[in-house]
Amino acid sequence: MEDNGGEDPVNNNNDTTVSSEGSIIKVTVKTPKDKEEIAISEDASVTQFKEEISRRFKAKQDQLVLIFAGKILKDGDSLNQHGIKDGLTVHLVIKTAHKAGDGASSSTSCTSQVGSSSGSSSGPSSAAHSSTVGSTGGPASAPPQTPNILTGFGDLSSLSSMGMGSANFMELQQQMQSQLMSNPEMLSQIMENPLVQNMMSNPDLMRQMIVANPQMQQLMERNPEISHMLNNPELMRQTMELARNPAMMQEMMRNQDRALSNLESIPGGYNALRRMYTDIQEPMFSAARDQFGNNPFSALGGNSDGGVQPSRTENREPLPNPWGPPSSTNPSEGGGGTGTTGSSTTGSTNPSVSNPLGVNSASLGNGMFSSPGMQSLMQQISENPQLMQNMLSAPYMRSMMQSLAQNPDMASQNPASSPSAGTNPAQQLMMQQMLQMFAGGNASSQTPEVQFQQQLEQLGAMGFINREANLQALIATGGDVNAAIERLLGSQPS
Amino acid sequence: SQASSVIKVPRNFRLLEELEEGQKGVGDGTVSWGLEDDEDIMLTRWTGMIIGPPRTIYENRMYSLKVECGPRYPESPPFVRFVTKINLNGVHNSNGVVDTRAVAALAKWQNSYSIRVVLQELRRLMMCKENMKLPQPPEGQVFSN
Repeated sequence: MEDNGGEDPVNNNNDTTVSSEGSIIKVTVKTPKDKEEIAISEDASVTQFKEEISRRFKAKQDQLVLIFAGKILKDGDSLNQHGIKDGLTVHLVIKTAHKAGDGASSSTSCTSQVGSSSGSSSGPSSAAHSSTVGSTGGPASAPPQTPNILTGFGDLSSLSSMGMGSANFMELQQQMQSQLMSNPEMLSQIMENPLVQNMMSNPDLMRQMIVANPQMQQLMERNPEISHMLNNPELMRQTMELARNPAMMQEMMRNQDRALSNLESIPGGYNALRRMYTDIQEPMFSAARDQFGNNPFSALGGNSDGGVQPSRTENREPLPNPWGPPSSTNPSEGGGGTGTTGSSTTGSTNPSVSNPLGVNSASLGNGMFSSPGMQSLMQQISENPQLMQNMLSAPYMRSMMQSLAQNPDMASQNPASSPSAGTNPAQQLMMQQMLQMFAGGNASSQTPEVQFQQQLEQLGAMGFINREANLQALIATGGDVNAAIERLLGSQPS
Repeated sequence: SQASSVIKVPRNFRLLEELEEGQKGVGDGTVSWGLEDDEDIMLTRWTGMIIGPPRTIYENRMYSLKVECGPRYPESPPFVRFVTKINLNGVHNSNGVVDTRAVAALAKWQNSYSIRVVLQELRRLMMCKENMKLPQPPEGQVFSN
């Protein structure tokens, strides 16, 4: 534990971490859950650095294990010798002596081949280790440490250690989404989690969640029918049943289709159908239409525009690949008369008792994602159509769908980017917009440029002159300037 | 290094980028990587560190690895081997070498992947049902090689 001040002829003052002579550097110290910027002299030793860290993170010095660029920092080393400079990031792992209920990965055991100062506590902690192996499966309740929205969700708290421990909910959601995209099993795990299922079976809670979304609120204002639907607990419960059980949803939809086609033949039945459509579906679509000239759902629903009748298509076969070429669809079919068969990918999007929002997840694949850029993004998901179904069934997804409908950018970009499909920035922009949509419903109906005007200026003032990159970063982070900066500095699209 | 065509990024550029990312802690903080030797001009030998994921038998352990990026990187995947002893499917028990066929990121390597991707994939493997409860050697042991 010696400082290396002697090695550096310039710096003579070494007693504290903040020396007046040596220059101070700012090093980011990052745990899987947390991040702090620590100012320290550039000539400091690892020990001194740990002193500062232990103060900041409220942990004992010997509990700290520092990793930089794949190497563990030993107390006897200096920051210099590892090449730690201003602006770089060091990873921190905080060992805790006991790990009961502490699912979060902030605890660790003694280091491996490097006999660092933590060696002294290796005895007790390895003894504790064997006992905790049993208890890692243990308490379903949350590790008390993280103000993480997923704490208290039993198994889901492990998600927090996948690097999602951020207090910023939007960032969290976004990370969750990207995790979901890359790991389909996770979603089914989430869905299977009894706690999630419980939550989803509580209609009040779901209603609150949906209503809390500003997009929904707008929509509801415009169409009292919708709030009517939402207020009907029976309806909500049914919807949630479906959301929980995608297989059931498919069945239901198919039943609906059959029932509908049966209804047609009943005298007066057709009118009933038509009424149902005009009462419910049309206001919704016209609400979407208000925002912009063309109705993006027309491609999807295949029937909304003009056609007063609900789609005649019967969904007889297993839902085909929603991302196949948008072939057989739409308006011509929608306008068609009775008994038109030939299920198209758009299928029937009738709002019905089972599906009040009229969302046909299969059909959503079509109009919106016909751009190759989007297709490439969705390739992973398309490998597992179940995943898409699951994703779209989640209640908050529905509100996202609403917001998708209301965002003119998506619609205007959709036809626009198809011809210019090759352009990378357009694709990326769309992808990132999509991600951002997932990240919680962009509340604004402006273009991101306008919306992030202020943040763009900030970034420009800081010296990030690549406006395009700035914009993309802002979109990805949902307008969070700091996160955008990190993005710009840290990662490059590869 | 390889002759770079219009699309492919030259090897050294890529590796420098990865070096920077490693120093800046890009990612979620559960893996770390950096040059084994700062003087390595060819940027070939790297060390990696994986923090064992929670709720697995690897929890609280830190696994050190050696990653070697050959001359054809990133067109070819890197060689990866564990230094810290570990019992994990796909890792040779004798020397810690990671079996290319067992790790999806290596088996289906793409030139857009990176050292980080490989490390994160290995960490994910630790969380698989078939791995997460494998009995492990005592801590502090290294593969003899």
